[in-house]
Amino acid sequence: MVKQEKELANRPDNTAYTQQRLPAWQPMLSAGIIIPGFVIIGLAFIGIGVALFVTSQSIQVLELDYTGVEQTSPCFKCTDQTIKNCVCKLDFNIDKLFEGPVFFYYGLSNYFQNQRKYGVSKDDTQLSGDLDNFKTPSDTCLPYRYDSQGKPIVPCGAIANSMFNDTFKLFQIVKGVRKQVPFDGKGIAWWTDYNIKYRNPSVPVLKNAFNGTVKPISWPRPAYELDTSDPANNGFINQDFLVWMRRAALPDFRKLYRRITDGDYAKGLPAGNYSLEIAYNYPVLDFDGRKKVLLSNVSWMGGKNEFLGIAYLVIGSLCIVMSIVMLIVYAKFKFPEED
Amino acid sequence: MAFRTEQEVDSLHATIECEQPQPDLYKFVGRINIYKDKEEPVARPLGAENLLLRGATLKNTQHIYAVAVYTGMETKMALNYQSKSQKRSAVEKSMNAFLIVYLCILISKAVINTVLKYAWQWSPDRDEPWYNHRTENERQRHVVIRAFTDFLAFMVLFNYIIPVSMYVTVEMQKFLGSYFITWDEEMFDEELGEGAQVNTSDLNEELGQVEYVFTDKTGTLTENNMEFIECCVDGNVYIPHAICNGQILSAASSIDMIDSSPGGYRREHEDLFFRALCLCHTVQVKEEETVDGIKRGIHQGRPTSFYISSSPDEVALVEGMKRLGYTYLRLRDNYMEILNKDDEIERFELLHVLNFDSVRRRMSVIVKSSSGEYLLFCKGADSSIFPRVVSGKVEQVKARVEQNAVEGLRTLCVAYRRLSETEYEEVCHHLNEAKLALQDREQRLAQAYDIIERDFVLLGATAVEDRLQEKAADTIESLHKAGMKVWVLTGDKMETAAATCYASKLFRRSTQILELTKKRTEEQSLHDVLFELNRTVLRQRSISGLSVDCLDFGLIIDGATLSAVLKPNQEGAGPGNYREIFLEICRNCSAVLCCRMAPLQKAQIVKLIKASKEHPITLAIGDGANDVSMILEAHVGIGIMGKEGRQAARNSDYAIPKFKHLKKMLLVHGHYYYIRIAELVQYFFYKNVCFIFPQFLYQFFCGFSQQPLYDTAYLTLYNISFTSLPILLYSLVEQHVTMETLKREPSLYRDIAKNSLLRWPVFLYWTCLGVFDAVIFFFGAYFLFDNTTFTSNGQMFGNWTFGTLVFTVLVFTVTLKLALDTHHWTWINHFVIWGSLLFYVIFSLLWGGIIWPFLNYQRMYYVFMQMLSSGPAWLSIILLITVSLLPDVIKKVLCRAVCPSATERAQSSRPCLTVEPSTIFMLSQSSSRMSF
Repeated sequence: MVKQEKELANRPDNTAYTQQRLPAWQPMLSAGIIIPGFVIIGLAFIGIGVALFVTSQSIQVLELDYTGVEQTSPCFKCTDQTIKNCVCKLDFNIDKLFEGPVFFYYGLSNYFQNQRKYGVSKDDTQLSGDLDNFKTPSDTCLPYRYDSQGKPIVPCGAIANSMFNDTFKLFQIVKGVRKQVPFDGKGIAWWTDYNIKYRNPSVPVLKNAFNGTVKPISWPRPAYELDTSDPANNGFINQDFLVWMRRAALPDFRKLYRRITDGDYAKGLPAGNYSLEIAYNYPVLDFDGRKKVLLSNVSWMGGKNEFLGIAYLVIGSLCIVMSIVMLIVYAKFKFPEED
Repeated sequence: MAFRTEQEVDSLHATIECEQPQPDLYKFVGRINIYKDKEEPVARPLGAENLLLRGATLKNTQHIYAVAVYTGMETKMALNYQSKSQKRSAVEKSMNAFLIVYLCILISKAVINTVLKYAWQWSPDRDEPWYNHRTENERQRHVVIRAFTDFLAFMVLFNYIIPVSMYVTVEMQKFLGSYFITWDEEMFDEELGEGAQVNTSDLNEELGQVEYVFTDKTGTLTENNMEFIECCVDGNVYIPHAICNGQILSAASSIDMIDSSPGGYRREHEDLFFRALCLCHTVQVKEEETVDGIKRGIHQGRPTSFYISSSPDEVALVEGMKRLGYTYLRLRDNYMEILNKDDEIERFELLHVLNFDSVRRRMSVIVKSSSGEYLLFCKGADSSIFPRVVSGKVEQVKARVEQNAVEGLRTLCVAYRRLSETEYEEVCHHLNEAKLALQDREQRLAQAYDIIERDFVLLGATAVEDRLQEKAADTIESLHKAGMKVWVLTGDKMETAAATCYASKLFRRSTQILELTKKRTEEQSLHDVLFELNRTVLRQRSISGLSVDCLDFGLIIDGATLSAVLKPNQEGAGPGNYREIFLEICRNCSAVLCCRMAPLQKAQIVKLIKASKEHPITLAIGDGANDVSMILEAHVGIGIMGKEGRQAARNSDYAIPKFKHLKKMLLVHGHYYYIRIAELVQYFFYKNVCFIFPQFLYQFFCGFSQQPLYDTAYLTLYNISFTSLPILLYSLVEQHVTMETLKREPSLYRDIAKNSLLRWPVFLYWTCLGVFDAVIFFFGAYFLFDNTTFTSNGQMFGNWTFGTLVFTVLVFTVTLKLALDTHHWTWINHFVIWGSLLFYVIFSLLWGGIIWPFLNYQRMYYVFMQMLSSGPAWLSIILLITVSLLPDVIKKVLCRAVCPSATERAQSSRPCLTVEPSTIFMLSQSSSRMSF
């Protein structure tokens, strides 16, 4: 009896798991599955690729470099940094209707918004409206934390300090008369940035919150006066500020400046001559950067991007080719599965 | 002197001298000095037989009075805990080699980036553009220090390429995986009531790599369940009537004399022979119903009693004697009692026992008969008895012994010597002197034994059969088919061993036997024999070319020749190193039998093979104390829970109840463990390359500023939770072919031989695949992000979206890559693979969905959701995952078609798909998620 009990105690459990006999599906990459699979994937990809490519082709993009490197460029005069409030005009012409809604971007090249030190140089708590951090900004903001008098900079940090401050006005020249194209600056930043992540301090008059602080060194005006035309678009929830604060991933980037959705231009920019008036403030030539303006419309899949369509086409055809190759190989090596 | 009560023990005045604590469990040297009033102290020897080890259980007695000699960490058991040497598997070694490569990659990545950073920053505009000034402190820092901190920062950024979590996962896999061995019901032995036992989990995968199997014969290949077959006295053979299977037999006249020519001289030898066998042993009689250890029922008119001994041979002999009419009754007050054929009780006073040891290979007792005669009985291996015999019918006995040996029986010779009073005194003197010695007691005892055990008169010989273990032949055949070389190492005679080898199919009829024995080397010089054998082997190989299977060689070598071969060559580079020639011969033999081996020689052989130039993986299997040395020496030591105690099982890495379990252990468990861990290791390196290489590429686009591509949470959790469970579970439950196939086709074992899944080309393939995937992830995302809008509302994405896109593709790709490699989809696999992808998505939604109050940055806020709201992001994720997986799929399919391995053929030919409803359900779920 004792012996028997001992045996029972020692005897391993006879379960599917302990005996490694769990029921299992045992798929295998055999020709019968892979070749049709490749064909299906290939066809699907080619289909998507064609759709993407065609869509991408229909998107119009207009790109205007206004850095002013060449002497002939209208903005050349502004590259001299001693001139304050320099304005230059760039004329261009659209030969057919630029379908709306048109998006107006500014672009920077060779500009490293993705530098690590630059990227951390901001104070998220301050930007969420915490007044404590107005007096003592986080030390991640160094060296843009206090000015030379020791006053705290609000908003602190390199990103805020380097905010893009060129401004643009677009005019259509209709029979020699300059007609301003209305810009829509609402909703160019992420909804969550505007409504949740960035907050102005909850004080009745925004300006008062900034008492005892100084504006970032490179800024012409303090944060509470960023948009003189719309008092609600000031402080940390200024749309341009928010757009700038979202760091670009790569050194050549563009950022949304305005949409053209209103008035006569809701259907797009009609063909004709246009003039772009640029308040040229932002220095980029020191580091060999470039500034440009982009006009683009978008489709369901975003802006113009031929890469995705072409990649889908290439991979799709590659799948088809590979399925043919595999078919040949299998024919030659006699389908080992069927043996 | 006897102490029966506590008071009596209390009255004892004595001191104990003993040796320093040492780990040998079976050795103890000490002396007790007993002081009595006004008398000279009496000294008594203390040996291992007087010592109780920690954790020992008492048998045959209720209590015992004892003195603690060693305590705590000084006990022999405690000393034994540490002494086990660390064994590392071949997989672990290649893992470490790979790790060094990755360490070099890490350092070179950091160095390249640091150098490029300073080259790139040469122009001051890039070094410090107006929008990104340094602090004063940083500016003042010396450039060398700055470069060094940059280097360290790069190291931190790329350190994830070193798969630290791999070591954790490997340990977990080994620990958890080893339970499958313990749990295996097929390796459970009903008789013993025990299953396999795992003493170390470090070597699981090594079971799949074995090239040489060294097996003990007795108790391993054979049952070690001895049956007395016959005995011969002076050439006359006696066979008991019935074969005892533990049932009760009548003890009455059961002698069958083949050649009956009674005479006075013969009569005397016969009496002496039977008495010798009844007296010369260390068998105990146990008159209880249940005892552990060795037992045999005997009938004594009273309740059943058993003979117990550490050696089954002895039990068989004593029982055999009983069936021949001479019953050993008991040992009482130092008198051994025998019931002879005429039902008379004879009493012999037991004076000395000269214990058996495997070097002497014999044991003796000195008894005083009732007539006052001093007799020394000795029994032992023929080789250790014959040289010491001065008279008796040596020729006849020798012939009979040899004949029995050929039949595979275990033979022992019995001899005696009559001692005169003075001789006896001398013997006592020798023995006591040796026993009391505190230093070199072993050696001195051996010397004393050597002096005492000589001038024998040969009485006869016994033959005991040891049956082959069940399925031993089948197991050996499978091991052969699996490409393993099986060596049998035994202390038995060559003929006995060879017979067993034929029976167990180690040697087949077609096997050409090469002999390298003392007999041959006596005729020719060792040199010539070796060269001749080598020539034979080489010639055969050159004739048969590559198809070696038509002819195989078996080698028989004995202990004496082996030590000659292993002896370092005095002439230096003279006629060549015998060792090398010997190894060359062995390499071409599928089976080798080493007989007449001393325990240490077993270890030597293992060491020799281990150290040969291919460094093969060796496995030693044995059941007795004499196998411990080779079990410890071999890469994998397997103990059989045998009849000769637990020493082998205790010292082994794995213990199994029977030899036949070795087949499943190696061919199934070993195979599985190996492919599982190989995939685990390669996959870990692969997934970390995929993980970190995009980050490396990103440095080229962010001014070498150590900007991480992924968010901190992703960096931390990638190895811990997003990709850890699928591979862990894969490495626990994967079965690339079914167990039945593995057992049916042992040759599949060859597919993984020589660490084939962890060789450099395979490693390179995985690494290249990782780099390729990483390049696809990064540049795929790069070209998608390059100057374009992703959304239909024109808003732009930032760097964290870029990183998240790469990371999402990464997590899906590496998980699906594992899914492609999985051949055995149990519900667990489905659960963890689809579950961890789901977990990643849920985690990302949650991580980006809330402003986390404890974080001082909110960079991931809504990044993941924003990405998912964009059509091109979905399309590019699908595209990039497909592209990353394509080459591996194509490679697999083409390899399978062009040059399928045996494993792949076996996979193809198996009965297909056993899909369960739940599986289908899971699949459909997963596919809907995969295609977004």
